[in-house]
Amino acid sequence: MKIRIACCLVVALVVTSFTPKPSPAANDAKITVLNPRGILPPIQRIPMAERLNSLEGKTIYIIDTKFARTRDFVETLHEVLQEKFPKTTWILRDKRGNYQVDDPDLWKEIKAKGHGVIMGIGH
Amino acid sequence: MPTVPVITQSFDELVTSIAYKKGIPGMRMVFTPHPVTDRPPDICRRYIEGKDPVSGKPMIDVIVSGLTQPVAAEDKQTGLIARPPRPRLLEPMTAEKLDQYFLDNDYTDGFPIVLPTEEKVAAMLKATSHRPDEMVGKMRPSDPHEAWEYTVEMVAVNAVMAGAKPEYFPAILAMASTGVTSLFSSTSSFARMAVFNGPIAKEIKMNSGIGAMGPFSHANSTIGRAWTLISKNLGGSGKPGETYLGSQGTPLNFSNICFPEAESELPKGWSPLHVQKGFKPSDSVVSLFSGWSLNNVAWFSSMPIHDVIRGWLEHFFSTSVSQATFILDPIVAKDIAAAGFATKEAYADYLVKNTGTPAWLYWQTRQNELKKAKEGVEPFAGYLKLGDNGVIPVSRFGRGRGKNRSGIEIIVTGGSTNAYWFGGDFSHVTSSSIDKWR
Repeated sequence: MKIRIACCLVVALVVTSFTPKPSPAANDAKITVLNPRGILPPIQRIPMAERLNSLEGKTIYIIDTKFARTRDFVETLHEVLQEKFPKTTWILRDKRGNYQVDDPDLWKEIKAKGHGVIMGIGH
Repeated sequence: MPTVPVITQSFDELVTSIAYKKGIPGMRMVFTPHPVTDRPPDICRRYIEGKDPVSGKPMIDVIVSGLTQPVAAEDKQTGLIARPPRPRLLEPMTAEKLDQYFLDNDYTDGFPIVLPTEEKVAAMLKATSHRPDEMVGKMRPSDPHEAWEYTVEMVAVNAVMAGAKPEYFPAILAMASTGVTSLFSSTSSFARMAVFNGPIAKEIKMNSGIGAMGPFSHANSTIGRAWTLISKNLGGSGKPGETYLGSQGTPLNFSNICFPEAESELPKGWSPLHVQKGFKPSDSVVSLFSGWSLNNVAWFSSMPIHDVIRGWLEHFFSTSVSQATFILDPIVAKDIAAAGFATKEAYADYLVKNTGTPAWLYWQTRQNELKKAKEGVEPFAGYLKLGDNGVIPVSRFGRGRGKNRSGIEIIVTGGSTNAYWFGGDFSHVTSSSIDKWR
């Protein structure tokens, strides 16, 4: 029994001695890898429009983008603004289609008749 | 035109980021508590007369100042906004530090990746005849977001990271070339599916047998994973709150239900999916699908399986979707064919013609028809007599695009160990040639 245990220890010692170990230098070696990210597009600045001197006498459109089940919010916003700023004309309008659809005719109308826009809302 | 958008608080990071990327970094925004959906007028009034939760100022004041406060000189500028440079190589580091760097910079899906060394990427690139600098496509998280571009080499980098073998690369390039992100940014948590057809499946040892849709094939798993890494790193998706908004997310995004159709197990007369989409049987093709979820069903009854599926579609598939995809085990497909459905299309047509709409769902979305029904106008008055538990004989399906007029897709895969089938709300987005990228 003792001989068997001794033999096992010798074998284990020999195996351990010959098992290659990673050198500290290998773990510290620096490697070069490629960047996984794609190419970002350039951003073209859009200058912001000049603001109004005041809201008095102006026409401001409130545009409902018609996100599902949010009508109460835009109607209430319209009501509150009318109450607080009675010398401003507040026009509540629906945008054509759902919230993802453009409405160039409405934008044309706003440019012709309006002075400012409040756009809302999702979720 | 002076404009202020009103946005709910949860999307602060999203809209700030999009305003910057659209070239209006100083955009004036007004925030309200989230959500406003289904909030009655009294709560809406409280929100509007209260404070903007982001700025902390009264919401009405933020609206007024947004329209009237003079614009800063910086916000009147034109020209380009500089983006951070994108070096081809990252700064050399130890492997351990690079692993952490990739995690810290959100370049991964959270699992360990294979570091994309020049040697490994070069080996990947040998699997295609296309030049490393050739542009493959553009991808974006969803429509409002900017699109990023990418080359063959950039796709190879992500394929290496996913653990893919070079022989999978043409299939991965075909997916990338579609520009379809696997991490679509919507507040609902979209999932994606990639179905492979043609010789490619056998060539790269994809699994269409037992466990086809599970984690039992290196090719299925790593190709699907590569799509997610590409969507993050090349398509700009996957930053929660900014470029990913799925409220709960979905575990299906990890490797995107990715499997080949079991073409050799198709019943006689049933065409493989890629042939249905206009390709030749000898073409290698990947078809991409979009949806949310799948049910895995087997119901053993005296009812024939084609009617079990019909019943499931009618009664359990009751949300407002109008498209469906069935993934049938070969046993199920053969039973359906034996019941007289000579083609996939014939069975899809049967489903369209024989699935009505549960009454409660029908009336919820048809207020005008409900009014007519109450006035005695047929056929609506007759529908109303069926009661809340009735089935209105109007299918919600049959509004597919292109050649698939049914809106119902049928795919066959699996190892024939049991008569199971998946049904779900997935719809076909596009199919792309893999051979083009060899």
